[in-house]
Amino acid sequence: MVDITVKIGGEAGFGIMTTGLLLGKIATRSGYHAFEYSEYPSLIRGGHNVIEVRISDSEIYSQKSKVDILLCLNLETFNLHASEVKDGGVIVYDEEKIAQDKIKKTAGNISFVHVPFNRILQEQKLPTVMLNNIALGVLMHLLGADLEILNNLIEENFARKSREIIDKNQTAAKVGFEVSQKSLPQGSSVKLTPLKDALPKMYISGNEMIGLASIAAGCRFYVAYPMTPTSAVLHYLAAKSGNSGMVVKHAEDEISVINMALGSAFAGVRSMVGTSGGGFALMVESVSLAGITETPIVIVMGQRPGPATGMPTWTEQGDLLFILHSGHGEFPKILLAPGDMEEVYKLTLEAFNLADKYQTPVFIIVDKYIQEGHQSVDKSKISEFKYPVDRGKLLSQEDLLKISAYKRYLDSPDGISPRAIPGMENSLHQANSYEHLEDGHTTEDAGERSKQVEKRNRKAATYLKQDFQMPRIYGDDNAPLTLISWGSMKAPVLQAMKESASHKFNLLHFNRLWPLDREKLKLLLSGLKKTLLVENNSQGQLGQLLTMATGVEFDEKLLKFTGRPIYPEEIIAKVNSIT
Amino acid sequence: MDNLKQALPKAQKNPPPAPVVSSSSGSLPSASKLHAAFSGYFPTWCPGCGNFGIWTAIKSAFSKMKLNPDKMAVVFGIGCSGNMNDFLWANSFHALHGRAIPNAVGIKIANHSLPVIVIVGDGDCYGEGGNHFLHAARGNHDITVIVHDNRVYGLTTGQVAPTAYKGFKSRSTPNGIIEVPVNPIALAVSQGATFVGQGFSGDMAHLTQLLESAVKHRGFSVVNVFQPCVTFNHVNSYSWYRERVYKLAPENHNPEDINRAWEKSLEVEEKIPLGIIYQVERPVYTDSLPQLAEKPLVFSEPVTDLEMLINEFV
Ligand SMILES: Cc1ncc(C[n+]2csc(CCOP(=O)(O)OP(=O)(O)O)c2C)c(N)n1
Ligand code: SF4
Ligand SMILES: [Mg+2]
Repeated sequence: MVDITVKIGGEAGFGIMTTGLLLGKIATRSGYHAFEYSEYPSLIRGGHNVIEVRISDSEIYSQKSKVDILLCLNLETFNLHASEVKDGGVIVYDEEKIAQDKIKKTAGNISFVHVPFNRILQEQKLPTVMLNNIALGVLMHLLGADLEILNNLIEENFARKSREIIDKNQTAAKVGFEVSQKSLPQGSSVKLTPLKDALPKMYISGNEMIGLASIAAGCRFYVAYPMTPTSAVLHYLAAKSGNSGMVVKHAEDEISVINMALGSAFAGVRSMVGTSGGGFALMVESVSLAGITETPIVIVMGQRPGPATGMPTWTEQGDLLFILHSGHGEFPKILLAPGDMEEVYKLTLEAFNLADKYQTPVFIIVDKYIQEGHQSVDKSKISEFKYPVDRGKLLSQEDLLKISAYKRYLDSPDGISPRAIPGMENSLHQANSYEHLEDGHTTEDAGERSKQVEKRNRKAATYLKQDFQMPRIYGDDNAPLTLISWGSMKAPVLQAMKESASHKFNLLHFNRLWPLDREKLKLLLSGLKKTLLVENNSQGQLGQLLTMATGVEFDEKLLKFTGRPIYPEEIIAKVNSIT
Repeated sequence: MDNLKQALPKAQKNPPPAPVVSSSSGSLPSASKLHAAFSGYFPTWCPGCGNFGIWTAIKSAFSKMKLNPDKMAVVFGIGCSGNMNDFLWANSFHALHGRAIPNAVGIKIANHSLPVIVIVGDGDCYGEGGNHFLHAARGNHDITVIVHDNRVYGLTTGQVAPTAYKGFKSRSTPNGIIEVPVNPIALAVSQGATFVGQGFSGDMAHLTQLLESAVKHRGFSVVNVFQPCVTFNHVNSYSWYRERVYKLAPENHNPEDINRAWEKSLEVEEKIPLGIIYQVERPVYTDSLPQLAEKPLVFSEPVTDLEMLINEFV
């Protein structure tokens, strides 16, 4: 069995992220599963960056604590992470940069590979940006992988550059390969021999997957203001607008972002916005506007640790209750929180249908951990997924011509009124931020007010009947302990389950967080033997939400709010301590 | 990939006709009929309020231009001005206070064949939504912004607006406002608006013509309209304006000359110009979006090859 973690660390600006990305891609092209996790400070140059790539021949869900190969591009990487290298592992370092005596201090059965990165650059007259290819060459040898795969990737990545640039990059890789061959001829103990019958895999980040899904959903307008960890959705969609025909707009602030999107949605275009907590705080008044005007919108809310600017490049699940309660007044909203890449794809697609169907804001709640990390996913799960577009009660021109006096906010048993778009004949209507009559005109009449409030509220009931799905149980149904978690923390829990190979616990994972079917959930939760809440925040927000909805309290909690994700090892330790 | 086509609204695949009333019989409704078509409820403004003049001028301009209430979009702000949502009946979006401009920009990007008009107050446009105003001007989004400049917040019962003269006493500034007023004209010209006009609700004929030119202008057009608030502003009354305003004409002003526009923008107190202060041509925002070359976004078919995009990650 192959299960190897490679950690690469160095100063920001040395292409460490690219090295990790390419390594993951080499692994998936060789048929392996891969999972990437990175840590970096909110700086452009300097500071300490690390990226780790876990590669396995069986399904993996998350990162782990122990490292097989540590590639140090600076002394700090060595100082901070050498202790994570497991027995039998390999440390790669530049002996000319990192003093010998400091390295010697590490005990244990660890092999050292000396790679003089800077000297190679000088001797081969290569620019510093090619350092990552030397590193990749080194890794290719250590992992017994085929250098050809790397050479092909270099060709593809630099297809639009000159032959000379491609040659230089490939030379860097070759030299790295040879140097590590000389230093440690046998390589590491793990070999990435290409797997024969492996299914073709994508290697993709959560942000890219959201972007890809929005294109597949027929989203035509994406508006955003850059904010980590969601900026890459903007970058991806902007880069692909030539293919997708989507209009991608970087607006002046988040208030404008959401209002532009509401304008375009009012005019009939599937629209999405993306942000993080601070930017979302600015949008909140308009979430309420979407609620009362009944305008469909998809909001990508990428969490990072707050309050305020908090820790911009780290991860947390601290905004669930903020999102739930966002927007003044009472109106329905739908909260989705995908737990892995496949869920990111499918729930993003679904978000657009739900927004159109319920004419109300729909949230895709993610976080740095799932947004910026790359993961492998079987290509067929994405490319073969059938998605029927449902635009709900959107009226066509023929429909409109059959209506005598069109009422935008017509009362209806399911709470949803037929929606016209401006520009069509007989479409005359008003989307009104004031409380309104069925025809859209402003009203303060008590009866009409109650009618519209009840109509809007009924959408939640309709959703529960037609679209709600219960949280999924993973693992042994009869396990004595149930871990309860949501969104991205599915990954470490499933990994912990796999690694402990025990039937001690199962996972109840929520990816639809609101509206909730209180009765069914109460029945389910109160029937659990023992519960452990697992959340990447300090206040157990899913726990609060479920208690509010069902009255059920939880026995134990594992809460982590250091800005780092929860590790499978921490889950196993917690489980062991309470069982 | 057929799925993607369903993401379009079910009906029109082609751009809707030009912004004139299309009638099945082939004959166009008369301007007076149209004027009536645009009329909603009778306004609830204070008797004598300058908003009546603006309302009438807007309806006259729209009907003279034969705009079709179905085939346009009007975005209203929040204020006495924005309350026109129930008095002017056209396809409309009643926005939040300060946010009408981004809604309008979004509508225009979604369907650039629709004329898009924004009706806002001075507090709404130059205060709460000031940032949006700057950026919409820069983008030369093809929308028309009609600002009701009454130098107060009418709807919230008489606080000072950013257009008030220094020293103006109001319920929020009983000792007089300390700040100097914003200069809407200079602001619009400097930020890239391509049509900047100034009107007076006490001169409806002139205002009607000005609004017509503004809506016809291709690009970001702003019309700052002096609107006496008879209830909360006892300084800037109809007679106060009548003593000061004068009309720009080809003999005394060339609106294409930015330096002349600057000069006019500084005439804010003793004599005040009315008319087109600045007008130039510049490509509008949507001209630079190749996605919109063939049809409006709302009717365009995604040209994507999803398989190709997926394979980029393999
Ligand atoms: C975010 C927000 N803040 C405050 C208000 C309250 N409010 C409504 S209208 C208004 C000011 C109106 O002044 P102006 O825009 O000049 O319009 P006018 O009434 O003078 O036409 C204010 C402060 C609001 N509706 N929304
Ligand atoms: S308060 Fe002023 S602006 Fe508002 S309706 Fe009355 S006169 Fe007009
Ligand atoms: Mg005002």
